[in-house]
Amino acid sequence: MNEALEKKIERALRRVQKPARYIGSELHSVIKDPAQVAIRIAFCFPDLYEVGMSHLGMKILYSLYNAQPDIWCERAFMPDTDMVEQMKGLDIPLFALESRDPLLGFDFVAFTLQYEMSYTTILAMLDLGGIPLYARERDERHPIVIAGGPCACNPEPVADFFDLIILGEGEEVNLELCALYREVQERREYLRRASQIPGVYVPSLYDVEYHGDGTVRAVTPREGAPATVTKRIIRDVDKVFYPKEFIVPFISTVHDRAMLEVLRGCIRGCRFCQAGFIYRPFREKTAATLDGDAKALTSSTGFEEISLTSLSTSDLGEIEPLLDSMLDWTEQEKINLSLPSLRIDTFSPGLLEKIDRVRKSGLTFAPEAGTQRMRDVINKNIDEEEIFSSCRTAFEGGYTSVKLYFMIGLPTETEEDLGGIIDLSQRIVDLYYSLPTKSKGKAVNVTVSVSSFVPKPFTPFQYEPQDTTEQLIAKQRFLREQIKTRKITLKWHNSDVSHVEGILARGDRRLAPVLVDVYRQGHYLESWEDRFGVGAWHEAMARAGLSEAFYANRQRGFDELMPWDHLDYGVTREFLQRQNELAHAGTPTPNCRAQCAGCGANKLIGGSCF
Amino acid sequence: MIDIRIFYKKRGRIKYISHLDMNRLMQRALKRSGLPVWYTQGFNPHMYLTFALPLSLGFESDYEIMDIRLTEELPMEEVVARLDAQMPPGLTVFKAAPPEMDVKEITDCIYEITAEVPGGAKKAKEQLEALMAEPALMVEKKTKRGVATVDLRPNVELLRCAPQGEDILALRLRCTSGSTLNINPTLPINLFCARYGYEPEGVSYLRVQVLAGGREFC
Repeated sequence: MNEALEKKIERALRRVQKPARYIGSELHSVIKDPAQVAIRIAFCFPDLYEVGMSHLGMKILYSLYNAQPDIWCERAFMPDTDMVEQMKGLDIPLFALESRDPLLGFDFVAFTLQYEMSYTTILAMLDLGGIPLYARERDERHPIVIAGGPCACNPEPVADFFDLIILGEGEEVNLELCALYREVQERREYLRRASQIPGVYVPSLYDVEYHGDGTVRAVTPREGAPATVTKRIIRDVDKVFYPKEFIVPFISTVHDRAMLEVLRGCIRGCRFCQAGFIYRPFREKTAATLDGDAKALTSSTGFEEISLTSLSTSDLGEIEPLLDSMLDWTEQEKINLSLPSLRIDTFSPGLLEKIDRVRKSGLTFAPEAGTQRMRDVINKNIDEEEIFSSCRTAFEGGYTSVKLYFMIGLPTETEEDLGGIIDLSQRIVDLYYSLPTKSKGKAVNVTVSVSSFVPKPFTPFQYEPQDTTEQLIAKQRFLREQIKTRKITLKWHNSDVSHVEGILARGDRRLAPVLVDVYRQGHYLESWEDRFGVGAWHEAMARAGLSEAFYANRQRGFDELMPWDHLDYGVTREFLQRQNELAHAGTPTPNCRAQCAGCGANKLIGGSCF
Repeated sequence: MIDIRIFYKKRGRIKYISHLDMNRLMQRALKRSGLPVWYTQGFNPHMYLTFALPLSLGFESDYEIMDIRLTEELPMEEVVARLDAQMPPGLTVFKAAPPEMDVKEITDCIYEITAEVPGGAKKAKEQLEALMAEPALMVEKKTKRGVATVDLRPNVELLRCAPQGEDILALRLRCTSGSTLNINPTLPINLFCARYGYEPEGVSYLRVQVLAGGREFC
């Protein structure tokens, strides 16, 4: 750490809001002697500190890397606009929080791809770090810029910015990449050798050709890179590394608590949900492992809350024994246990009784669609009866507000399905007033949160056209007009954001210059709505000569080569096509535990899932 | 239930942690320490924890005060050792004792301040001394009810003022503090900076003492 830079940082900190975002030195942040380590890694989360510090994947990899004596992994987040201004004015390059060393001097700069709207922020971080945006512009003076995370399943829009991309779960492959780096450091040779590691995708070793109509004609590997890159998974998640301590942030973060990952994958197969497919196959931890990790984490951090996180926590096989043993000591130590992802249809009476002892944050349901027909199409197997009986119990217990999550713009959606959203909400209002237990003078409130469906790769809906912005706005207006009572509060998402997400989610490499253009127009941190401007995107798409409708609103054929088809996430194209056809027929599919649907992901564990 | 007053220092980068965040930090540290902390009774029990005199964001301090309650008697050295072991870099717990005074008895704080005054430390000293000798120093001060005008003259005392080389002016300031009137040292210093064209961001603040009458608050 040089003194001149330290002084400049201090000056900047005195001028910005929330300087604590940039100071590091939290409990359990790791400081090593740079002279004693061989590999320096800057783990970058392309959003503000408060968001990035809530991310479980970063916590796992940070601890995993730093458990290696010769690796020092540090963190970097996107500074807010006021800090960016100071950094530019004072000539401060983006630095890692632990050492305050500039990113440029690191061996690896690693990004997590969590959501499409963070892509321009990645460019902002590279730029602030003085690292060339395009991989092809980097040489031996620059770090190797890598990425992983859910959006890596179609990394094509950002592929040109990364030297390599990790597909799937990172616990093993990250260490293999470090092992290779100890052997080879020359960039080209390193990347060529890295492309031979299962789960590693080196975009520069693949040539993409397009048809005249803009669809992909072929993706051809070079220099011995594999034709298909298959994602990595951890076979036995019960034995996988899990941190015994988390960094304890000074400032309040989005998820300011201990988090326990209880399972990976999801047995549900909701057809719109990318996470439900790309994290397959389903694997779970044992109650004994989880209880032990929970104790270690809470005692090392002092967190007052611990949450059991996964895509669907009630699908954990040993959920009841786990709650039994955890409730024993969490109640004693005044630690709140929270269970954010529960499906009401899986509640047994025993589980209900235990959940009752867990502090409730509110009553939230995600029916996702307003009619049973629509729910059958999307395979969201939720029963209205169960919503009503849960609401009845809650109302009788004194609750007066309910939150419901829905999507609009789903394939095959009709006006009736939209009306069903408000109708279902109205019936919950009516239920409240029909109960003799209703609190006098207290009004019920049903909050209806409506997001717009974005078709995603590796889902049965990857072929579907997304609704246009105009269609989405018309549907939002229709919903507003249907509401006849002030007891229902309607919230909806910005349809322009959904539109841009739609372009990027199924995009290809021709979008890279578009991202650079939008960034150059001054946009980053676009996950914050006040930082997003759709005008910049329209302009950049037009300048690049690309059609927005081609990416977002076009029906793809089953035989079309998708930009991500050289990446293998286990689920087969045949399965996705079959699921798409079942969706259009309105036929649901049972969950994986009830009956295997033959998605293909079990080949990754070499046997059946259950 | 045993009342304990904890004294700690806050130095270095951690000065950018706000009062609210310090509260959460201390709760978690107390939890990790395993000390038998007393919780408020009621529907939503929480740790009993109060701070004597909130420190401004960006200030360092050698004399911070926090009151807690324990459910059983413990040697004070043990309280200090167990809590200090849980402090992140920059925080040091140096004393624990039964409270002797009431927080309402606090009258003043002493601050050590360094101001960057490029190339003109001697001149800056004269300027500051002249300013502090003026018969009245009226400034606007934000209060809970809006903006009030206060005279700094009787409430701020320049105890020492000396150049540190060419570029730094080091001073020691007494400011009226406590629950009735609390004078933040940025009030006189910002006035000084504004009048003579120095940068307020070039000023560092360290609280060194909290006083009740003529005695150290304890």
